[in-house]
Amino acid sequence: MIRFLLKGILRDRSRSLLPVIVVALGVFLTVFMSGWFQGIMGDMIDMTARFSSGHVKIMTRAYAENSDQAPLDLALLDVAELTGQLNEEYPDMEWVSRIRSGGLLDVPDENGETRGQGPAMVTAIDLVSPDSKEVDRLNLSDAIVKGELPDQLGETLISNDFAEKFEVSVGDKVTLFGSTMYGSMMFYTFTVSGTIRFGNTLLDRGAIFIDIKDAQLAMDMEDGATEILGYFKNQPYIDEEAMALATSYNEKYSLEEDEFSPKMIRLAEAAGMADYLAIAENMVSMMVFIFIIAMSIVLWNTGLLGGLRRYSEFGVRLALGEEKKHIYRTTLLEALLIGIIGSTVGTIFGLALSYRLQAHGIDFSGMMDNLGVMMPTVFRAVVTPSMYVVGFIPGVLATVFGSALAGYAIYKRKTARLFHELEV
Amino acid sequence: MKNGTIISIDKLIKQFPVGKSKFTALNGLTLNIERGEFMGLVGPSGSGKTTLLNIIGSLDTPSMGTVTVLDQSISSLSHKQSSRLRNRHIGFIFQTYNLLPVYTVYENVEFALLLQKLSASARKKAVMDALEWVGLTDKIKSKPAMLSGGECQRVAIARSMVKRPDIVLADEPTANLDSKNSHHILQTMKKLNKELNTTFIFATHDEKVMQYLNRKVSLEDGQIVKDEVIENSKN
Repeated sequence: MIRFLLKGILRDRSRSLLPVIVVALGVFLTVFMSGWFQGIMGDMIDMTARFSSGHVKIMTRAYAENSDQAPLDLALLDVAELTGQLNEEYPDMEWVSRIRSGGLLDVPDENGETRGQGPAMVTAIDLVSPDSKEVDRLNLSDAIVKGELPDQLGETLISNDFAEKFEVSVGDKVTLFGSTMYGSMMFYTFTVSGTIRFGNTLLDRGAIFIDIKDAQLAMDMEDGATEILGYFKNQPYIDEEAMALATSYNEKYSLEEDEFSPKMIRLAEAAGMADYLAIAENMVSMMVFIFIIAMSIVLWNTGLLGGLRRYSEFGVRLALGEEKKHIYRTTLLEALLIGIIGSTVGTIFGLALSYRLQAHGIDFSGMMDNLGVMMPTVFRAVVTPSMYVVGFIPGVLATVFGSALAGYAIYKRKTARLFHELEV
Repeated sequence: MKNGTIISIDKLIKQFPVGKSKFTALNGLTLNIERGEFMGLVGPSGSGKTTLLNIIGSLDTPSMGTVTVLDQSISSLSHKQSSRLRNRHIGFIFQTYNLLPVYTVYENVEFALLLQKLSASARKKAVMDALEWVGLTDKIKSKPAMLSGGECQRVAIARSMVKRPDIVLADEPTANLDSKNSHHILQTMKKLNKELNTTFIFATHDEKVMQYLNRKVSLEDGQIVKDEVIENSKN
């Protein structure tokens, strides 16, 4: 009987082609959108991790409570010892120190008088060490618009927007005004080695990158840092592992009575990322749910049309002695076959496009000049194992469900009218 | 039931609701049909021919009275039992053939056997035998759309006969055929009636069909008005 049904499906294109196209299209969209959405969310999370939160971040308990103000006086001290300890205890993680601070960038004229000033978002990293991975992590090489990366202390990278606004050229001197860790005024002059642009307002608005040693010197923070970021060495961010790490670390080192004791927070806790992660998970579930409902309605209607077209066939089968429930079962079996074929086709095409967009993302930088959130300008998909089933199973379920609704009419059929119905 | 009686109908009444009242399609009809008969139910439209075929074919049930087909009371059959009765013992031939258009001649005939637990080789033999009876062994791979009306009806006959039923019910089987094809079809059915001793019951008002009948039961307003045996029918 299955062979017989399969022949019918393959030969009767109006019975198979439309449902297969509908299912394949729905599954394709689900798989692709799932991959693309996860890719964008993943990139967003990755970018946030690289620029601000790490996979985990260590601050003093007091700094963590006021981190939006970047209070230097609450920064970590004895960072070298702390980092050494972290490297020893958590060798699967990479630990880097950073200082984040606000300030004012002053551009002098040829007489040393202020020509222009603007707010600066200072990020101090290990910029000039030959073995530093921070340059790659922040993708600074690709962000350079003019000049080059600093290769010695006292050099800085400044925002290209700022440089254009105040006509700052590579090689010019700029002075950073701010405060030290102890509240005194701070002035430190840097040589501009290059200008940078990330294509993201949040990063480009007065961004200035300096070496952490310069920052420690300028801000009177000997062996200090506002935060130590930790990254998983050989894997992307996994919230469960980050949570386990943070919990064990905090239990061991974070003391409630000591506001200067270190506290580790994970990426999901930083910058509202927990909400983003929850959205990422829920969006895929919502997409699948909407897909099942929409496809079921479409396939229900397709099934009803098919049922009308096959009215005489079902009638003949009833007359030949086939039971209603057997006809219903075979209709569901047909739907299962169509669902499997359509879902397979849709999954293959969805994965193919996702693989393509995983390798070559779409560059939306031209449309995101004034973007105020930290997200990549090249949108990429990501192929995950879940994508092999995220569209396939709903595709099959929707087809069977749609046919089950449509096929219910078989039970309402009165055999006593078969002769009349079959002779029209 | 008498020896040789395959269908026994006693005081059959069939009523259909029409609004608040009831329409009586069959009114106290009593009839016995012997195995191997080639008989027809004749009469004008609305006389109850098709209603009677429906009940004999276990597609409908009596309102009152009893109808016994192959020792089974139609009124007491469950859906499953009536399906099984049709599947094993009753063949249907329709005015409009009702072949499945996407399947070949062979597959249309084979379909009737798929519900029975037969081996593929047994099915093949039965299908080829049935197609040989109707002279269509050269068309086994053709689709219904490639056949003439007469050939389609011969496929329908093969489909109804392939399971070697005891009874074949044919509702106006020649209504869509020209004279030549009608005679060809009727000769085929008559031959099968003789060779396999299958009981054929027609609902018809076609004179060509009546020429081949051995027995003609005339109905009017749900009652038998004449029941005649025809000795010199066509073969």
